Amino acid sequence: MSLRPYLTAFGLQWKIGLRYRIAVVAGLVAQMWFGAVTLMAYASVYHAAPDVQAPLSLRQAMTYTWIQQSLFTLLPLGCLPAIGDAARTGAIVYDLLRPVDMWNWWLSASLARLLGNAVPRAVLLACVAGPLAMLVGLGAWSLAPPASLISAILALVSITLGALLSATIVMGWNILTARTLSPLGSYAVGTPLAVLLSGMLLPLPLYPDWIRPFLLVQPFAGITDIPIRIYLGTPIPGGVATGLGLQIFWLAALTLLGRLWMRQTVNRLEVQGA
Amino acid sequence: MPDMPHSPSRTLGPVGLYRRMAGASIVAQLRYPGTFIIQAIGNFVTTLLSFFGIWSLFHRFGSIAGWDIGTVAVLYGLVNVAFAVAETLGRGFEVFGGEYVRTGSFDRLLLRPRSTLLLLLGHELRLRPIGRFLQGLFVLVAGLWLAPHVQWSALLVLPWAVAGGAAMFLGVLIGQAALCFITVEGLEVVNVLTYGGVEAGQYPLTMFGRWLRRFITFVLPLAAVCYYPALFCLRHPDPLGLPIWIGALSPSAGFAFLGVMVFAWQRAVAGYVSSGS
Repeated sequence: MSLRPYLTAFGLQWKIGLRYRIAVVAGLVAQMWFGAVTLMAYASVYHAAPDVQAPLSLRQAMTYTWIQQSLFTLLPLGCLPAIGDAARTGAIVYDLLRPVDMWNWWLSASLARLLGNAVPRAVLLACVAGPLAMLVGLGAWSLAPPASLISAILALVSITLGALLSATIVMGWNILTARTLSPLGSYAVGTPLAVLLSGMLLPLPLYPDWIRPFLLVQPFAGITDIPIRIYLGTPIPGGVATGLGLQIFWLAALTLLGRLWMRQTVNRLEVQGA
Repeated sequence: MPDMPHSPSRTLGPVGLYRRMAGASIVAQLRYPGTFIIQAIGNFVTTLLSFFGIWSLFHRFGSIAGWDIGTVAVLYGLVNVAFAVAETLGRGFEVFGGEYVRTGSFDRLLLRPRSTLLLLLGHELRLRPIGRFLQGLFVLVAGLWLAPHVQWSALLVLPWAVAGGAAMFLGVLIGQAALCFITVEGLEVVNVLTYGGVEAGQYPLTMFGRWLRRFITFVLPLAAVCYYPALFCLRHPDPLGLPIWIGALSPSAGFAFLGVMVFAWQRAVAGYVSSGS
């Protein structure tokens, strides 16, 4: 088995993601706005209640928000657009005919799409929210550096796992799209789930205490929440190993389930169109 | 629509024409009832979850400068209901760049002897935002129910504030469409004013820094259609020192904003050069 077809699928989607430079800048402005609104709201609640013992300090909550904003396009918001089109037009049949493993084929394309969108935005926003904000005297509102060199390295490992996990969840949306012949359902379900459960809406450590254990062990926490906690050096129950372990567990479990579901779907797939 | 006999001798007025276009659009959307229901539920759940986020924040930190979760619920409900109305009406402006300017099909609209604004309003009467609308209404009513000082005058000001807010958001969509004459494709940056406006409108104005307060008061009159009417309904004194009756008048700023945007639109249409296709 050669890796080449999967690398080609990856390269193609990666380039599509990089194509839209104006969209990257537009996204940056939008993320700065949402980041600013959220940060001011957090600063205001933290200052109004100085004696509340929150699981994150204000500075950590701000850093969490910046990283979360910069990785917005890494979240599994819906299916891969190319698969949505293919399902609607019936072109999905070409994918079935290819002499490749379809799971890996779609997975490499999905991963490249996420990374091609997320990496340039993340780098840009990190520069603006980090060093640039420091330079213009907004240091208190800026992105804090990682807790230590070790946590930086571990966070890098963790975010790599997070990207893979996100692509695996996107595979779920892809299969849903192939079954329902429309990408709309995957966006209707995927976007709210991803935005809430990944910590985009509110950092997962800030939810009420009774729900926090559940929020940590669900798969979406592995995409950005666990890497950010490692970056910040905030305690995860059981330590960094639990965090990485949860990510690996979900990656394995979802790959297994997804492959089964895909096999079952392909066997009974009715292709639309001529 | 086959069930409506077409008589060439009688021309429809603007209202009749809009009703016919809206009716056709509703029938088209209900053609796929499953998709519609999933999207409406998705919309409802997404917006409800976003309220759960705010609720959690206030649950942890308690009230902020006299604002507790009940009063924030009123702000949240108000801005979401207003935006849902604008989203329902203004779909034609939202997709204007991609579907009309880039493809050149705006030329066809110009050939029709009707206002382009009317024709674009009739592009689609979108049913999907009903999820956001119902959820916002639910949170709004719950917030008013919990608030201690609500008077009957609130019932007069609330619909007025919703109308002003819907006019303001519709103005943003029209302004976005007018920009498409220059940019051809729609610009995502405008989402800062629509979705970002909803995000900013659901927090009390006093939580923000001065530049943002000024922006959402004087550039985009978000505070005028949301924050001040909410203060009026809750009988909550303004920490920034304005008298309380301001809230009963301020929603008119939303209509003024819409007027400015309609003027900009007409100027833009007058200078339109087709992209050709």
